[in-house]
Amino acid sequence: MATGDGSGVRPELDRRRARSLVFDALTAVIPDLRAEALDERQELYADLGMDSLGFVRLLVELESKLDVSLVDEDLMTIELFNVADLVDLVERISPPAAN
Amino acid sequence: MIAAARDPQLPTHWFNILHDRPQYVSSAVPRSRLPEEVKRAGYRIQLQQPFSLARQSLNTADRFIPIPGEVLDLYAQYRPTPLRRAVRLEERLGANARIYYKYEGANLTGSHKLNSALAQAYYYARAGVKHIVTGTAAGQWGTALAYACQVMNLRCTVFMVRATLRQKPIRGDMMRLFGAIVHESPGDLTDVGRRVLKEDPAAIGTQAVANAEALELAGEDTESRFAVGSGENSVLLHQTVIGQEANSQMALLGEFPDCVIACMGAGSNFGGIALPLLGAAEDSGRSIRLVAVESAACPKLTRGRYLYDLSDALGTTPVTKVYSLGSTYVPPPVYAGGLRHHSAGPLASAMHADGSLEAIAIDQLTSFRAGMLFCETEGILPAPESAHAVAGMMDVVSRHPRQGAPLVVLVNISGHGLLDLDAYRRFAAGEIEPVKANETRLSQSLNALEEFNQAITEAAEAT
Repeated sequence: MATGDGSGVRPELDRRRARSLVFDALTAVIPDLRAEALDERQELYADLGMDSLGFVRLLVELESKLDVSLVDEDLMTIELFNVADLVDLVERISPPAAN
Repeated sequence: MIAAARDPQLPTHWFNILHDRPQYVSSAVPRSRLPEEVKRAGYRIQLQQPFSLARQSLNTADRFIPIPGEVLDLYAQYRPTPLRRAVRLEERLGANARIYYKYEGANLTGSHKLNSALAQAYYYARAGVKHIVTGTAAGQWGTALAYACQVMNLRCTVFMVRATLRQKPIRGDMMRLFGAIVHESPGDLTDVGRRVLKEDPAAIGTQAVANAEALELAGEDTESRFAVGSGENSVLLHQTVIGQEANSQMALLGEFPDCVIACMGAGSNFGGIALPLLGAAEDSGRSIRLVAVESAACPKLTRGRYLYDLSDALGTTPVTKVYSLGSTYVPPPVYAGGLRHHSAGPLASAMHADGSLEAIAIDQLTSFRAGMLFCETEGILPAPESAHAVAGMMDVVSRHPRQGAPLVVLVNISGHGLLDLDAYRRFAAGEIEPVKANETRLSQSLNALEEFNQAITEAAEAT
């Protein structure tokens, strides 16, 4: 997994922050979804009902929340299965957390 | 290197109707509410379209979206396209109307589809995709994408609906000339094709099956992706160069249309010509009629239901609310293969639902008669799909009062019919029968569509 500091180990704080961002973004783009009902093992497609259109909405939401510009070439190679994959993605694309 | 100077009338931006009407942004039913056979556990989320292309379908912030320079240079090789007044046709019809037409058939691939094919190939190439896979009905989209892929150094594979590939094999030859691999759909190459053939070895194919086969093949390696030639908001966006040019060209003549008419497959050529003129009409406080002309063999707007439905036979793509005859409906094999998709796109459907768009269904014989008349009077043989637009225009004009102000009409001739000469020859020889919707199949398909939606409603109530 790519990390912000190049050490290969990402601080737990970043994981929690990434998870929180993902849960917020998911509840923003999927109707009737409650953040307290989410966990990282849930499948995006089968459990949360996400499709490719929802994924694009989610990326737009994350781009805004993270204040980053997502690059087509980086996103085309990504395959996501569950919420944990999405949290991993946010860790990779987010700027390092302020200390 | 630039091959052609950009004409000052060539639009530098696409017109985005979603800015003016954000309610037209598609919303898909959550997959968790779909029946089990569609929901498919274990599916991985992956972008088929590059993000910058896909987000165009959701953009409500920008009324105009810049056309990338590389795409503009390619547009400059064949745009602006001609806008002409159909004077001889007006005389023949004896109508109280001034009829203008925009002609999109003069580019190398022969239809408006090139406007989006070039744009899409540009975004896919920039995103690192090496191979684009698609489905095509009548072959105009497949031809345009094959050419665009060649320009952008991409490989291209096209699944073409069996009925139309057999009607006009020369379409397949043209795609192969541009370097594409062409498969008849349904075929043995994919699971979905084999399944359809097992149920009916003589299956004539549909756009929904062709797209499902393309999606399946695109999912088999990391360098390949699926692309679609109509229905998506982004595709309609790319086509808005047509309507913007038409607006400027008519303004030079001191005209603005009372009525804009185009044929309706899923909505790309209709949206391309109609949406910028709708925006211009609203800017200037004028009223405008928008008329979509569909095939009587596939009357999704005039006889379909506005419900959630699958777009491809697998149900992989988002399940959006559309005017549909049901994804299991197999329209009869009319020559206007581009009008055989079982549903209109989400944006055109939303416009029909709110009354912004009228619809007319035209039978095949009437369309060929109109196409022949257009050829005699204007020297352009329209594609069978575009001939429906001509027939729809003649219907509208014939209903306009003989007295009073003439009706100013703009019709889109979305492509030429030079690869459909055999169909026109057969029509002239009296060998083509009128083709209507298959009532039994239509009724079964509409029932299945309503049951599908009932299941979605029940799933929503259970959550």
